[in-house]
Amino acid sequence: MLYIKCPHCGMRSQNEFSYGGDATVKRPDLNKEVSDQDWDNFVYNRKSLRGKHLELWQHLSGCRQWIKVERDTATHEIFRTLKANEDNS
Amino acid sequence: MTSISALKNVHLKGKFGDYEDKNEKDLIKIKEIKNLLIVQIVQYKKSTLSIDNFNLDGLNFKNDSLSVSNNENTRILWNGPKNWLLISNKIELIKEIKENFDHMNFAVTDLSHSKAIIEIEGDKAKEVLKKGCPFNFNELNKNNCVNSIFNGIAVSIDMINDNPCKIKILTLRSFGESLYHSITDACLEFGYINN
Repeated sequence: MLYIKCPHCGMRSQNEFSYGGDATVKRPDLNKEVSDQDWDNFVYNRKSLRGKHLELWQHLSGCRQWIKVERDTATHEIFRTLKANEDNS
Repeated sequence: MTSISALKNVHLKGKFGDYEDKNEKDLIKIKEIKNLLIVQIVQYKKSTLSIDNFNLDGLNFKNDSLSVSNNENTRILWNGPKNWLLISNKIELIKEIKENFDHMNFAVTDLSHSKAIIEIEGDKAKEVLKKGCPFNFNELNKNNCVNSIFNGIAVSIDMINDNPCKIKILTLRSFGESLYHSITDACLEFGYINN
């Protein structure tokens, strides 16, 4: 079982969370022309990295907040967690 | 306001489980709690009001995880950032809530009839919860609350007292009977008495 440190609630079991996908994907700007390729990349194409990966998780059975989690997809080691509006850098 | 019991079909009075040859005070006590005012208060993200300026029934709204503001009638549980659950036996408090928390800054939802509440009391109450919930209950003290899951059912757990341990477990009304069965199954080995 993984333990994820929710920035709002503290250390909690993975069972309380729901995975929300890649946190680095950015929606194309509104009111601008978007090519099919850019839209395809935004909606479907993912890198599926092996290694460090920034992910969105929702603390569904806790505070219900979306958070960012930096996790190694090979070892499952979690390096840090951030609030959804915090900068990744 | 008298609410219809969420657990009347399953909650039977008597002693159950491994209660023989045990002192009655050592058994876990299980009760259904009803007729409470339960209100969720959420402050919108865009709201610039300071929650420190608000109080209800003399209680402040704390913005720390696990925290509960309480007096003998009312408890305000931290549910998440800018999100609280008020539980009170003063039904008339709803009027004050609606007057003080304007709809431009707050979402106020009356959940009084939407929850099933089970209260368990006894020295083994935490052991019962540990069987189905991944939270570390050794960290949970008197007047703490936590949102978690019990056997896959989303629950809010409110620690009323620690000596003897007295815990209220709130869940969605429709999950009440399933949660009741999970809790009573977990209580069997200790023996329990339904009031």
